[in-house]
Amino acid sequence: MSRIINTLLIGISGGSIYSLMSLALVLVWRSTRVVNFAQAGQAILSTYIGYVVVTHTDNYWLAFPVALLSGALIGALVDIFLIRILARRANSGPVAAIAPVIATLGLLGLIRAIVGMIWGGDLRRFKLPVTNHGFTFGHTTIPFAPINLLIVVTTVIVMLIFSVIFQRTNLGLALRASAFSPEIARLAGVRVDLTRTIGWAFAGAAGAIAGVLVTPTNYLSPNSLDLLLVSGFVAAVIGGLESLIGAAVGGLVLGISLAFVLEYISSSLAFPVAFVVLMAVLLIKPAGLFGGKRVRSA
Amino acid sequence: MDKNIARRKIVGATFFMFLGIALFIASNIVDELRVYQGATVAVYVVAISSIILLTGYSGQISLGHGALMAVGAYAAVLSRNYWNFPIPLTFAVAVLAAALFGALLGMAAGRLSGPYLAGTTLALAVGLPSLANQFKILGGEEGLTYDVGFPPLSLGQDFTQYKWFFWIAALAALAITWVIFNILGSRYGRQWRALRSNPTAAALLGVHVARSKVLAFTISSGIAGLAGALMSMTISLVTPSAFPLSLSFAIVTGAVLAGVTLLTGSIVGAVVLVAIPEVTAALATHLGGSEKVTSNLPGLMMSTLLILSVLFFPNGPQLHRRKTRKS
Repeated sequence: MSRIINTLLIGISGGSIYSLMSLALVLVWRSTRVVNFAQAGQAILSTYIGYVVVTHTDNYWLAFPVALLSGALIGALVDIFLIRILARRANSGPVAAIAPVIATLGLLGLIRAIVGMIWGGDLRRFKLPVTNHGFTFGHTTIPFAPINLLIVVTTVIVMLIFSVIFQRTNLGLALRASAFSPEIARLAGVRVDLTRTIGWAFAGAAGAIAGVLVTPTNYLSPNSLDLLLVSGFVAAVIGGLESLIGAAVGGLVLGISLAFVLEYISSSLAFPVAFVVLMAVLLIKPAGLFGGKRVRSA
Repeated sequence: MDKNIARRKIVGATFFMFLGIALFIASNIVDELRVYQGATVAVYVVAISSIILLTGYSGQISLGHGALMAVGAYAAVLSRNYWNFPIPLTFAVAVLAAALFGALLGMAAGRLSGPYLAGTTLALAVGLPSLANQFKILGGEEGLTYDVGFPPLSLGQDFTQYKWFFWIAALAALAITWVIFNILGSRYGRQWRALRSNPTAAALLGVHVARSKVLAFTISSGIAGLAGALMSMTISLVTPSAFPLSLSFAIVTGAVLAGVTLLTGSIVGAVVLVAIPEVTAALATHLGGSEKVTSNLPGLMMSTLLILSVLFFPNGPQLHRRKTRKS
């Protein structure tokens, strides 16, 4: 019984990170109809910026907001300098549908090369903000550690902030309106371009948080977040790619199922399981658990 | 009309033959390094044409062709090492294995479009090569050696191993390009183009959308498998690390740079892919940057080229020119 609970807790902690990455992808998809493969690059750049702050000030808690803000800034810049131009230039012809994929892919490579130029390719370690030794109850130590608790709590706070912004503020209304129908939103006086850039900034911040949270228990290198991008994508597809709640739930579903497979079947099956889950969702319920009725054609 | 097509086919075949002869003559003149680079170009030509067929003609995208190349390479090496198949047969095994894998993937992928397909194939590219570490038969991180043997003695004493690689790869590239030309000119090629420009209209005209897409994915995967087998031939080795995510990205980059709707562009894309490390190395020795900078210059240059080409020639230089001429 305790094994089940332990696995569940580890799954929730892993799934929280997937949720954040998935949230970043969903935010961009909703506002721009682009799956942002550069998200892994944006997140890694923000994480490296956080890393610099950690090594210079020896303070993780300072690195956190710095990475978050730089993630938001990077997201906004990507939208302004790449995506807007792309939308204007590559809007017709046979390749128009895949142009954003290729452009964000190029951006991923570009950011990765720049990061490699500045910090090199060697694996780096992040100072742990809190211990990764599990909580102890009496004589038993469980695998769930303060660092996992930090991950879960931070994710919950981030999700709460986002849902308040989306449901309770004018900005959230504008974001939802421009995602739902840009033309009508524009007619109603929403500055759609600006709103879209804000959506990209939010996404960049979410990705940066995911990067800063996952890195202390892992290592940091120019491509250490690739797997997280894939997991985030799988989580987003499970959740339907449209829905913010779906992103959160998708991440948890993926995290918990991975944790159980790793614990009970084999520790080498992480990737095949994620891939099978992705395929199963795409074949059985392509609209995802929380997807709308809209057909997936874009 | 029929006569015209027949004549064009003859002209095409003659062109390929002459190209082949020219390449063989060239391989005797230039030095070893160039011959080896020529072999690499030929491998990239095969890989890039698989993407051009898939993306440029059927409008699907794959970021996972590196993984399909790995499937082909492992299939070839296993059939060589365990059953001692002759070399041409191992290439056929590579094509079949990758095509089969691609067909399975394509059945799921045929229902997907744009970003979903991209994400799914990306997942494949990230995860699949690392699977090789978990099966003993695949040789783990060290991989398996792939030995195509020495060049036959009948070719002369001073016929080098690299030249032999080049001949095999160039012959394969020419043959596969010719095959793709014919496929694209056939009913299926027309169906794919119709699908690419307007799926609804194509379906209305009787094109079976899903089946047609799966077919394109299967053929493209088979070609990628061949490219994988050829690539491991030139490095005599099959390892998971030979098929990183960056390989998948590189061949997509090559296809986009080549103008993704133009099959003959594959050679341009392939030359650019091989030239980039060369150019950046020259640049690095000239500028004298640190190791960090020099090792990332190729990636930087390739990504920049990719972004610029998608911004300025989203449909390939060829189509762009045609459009501007019209207006």
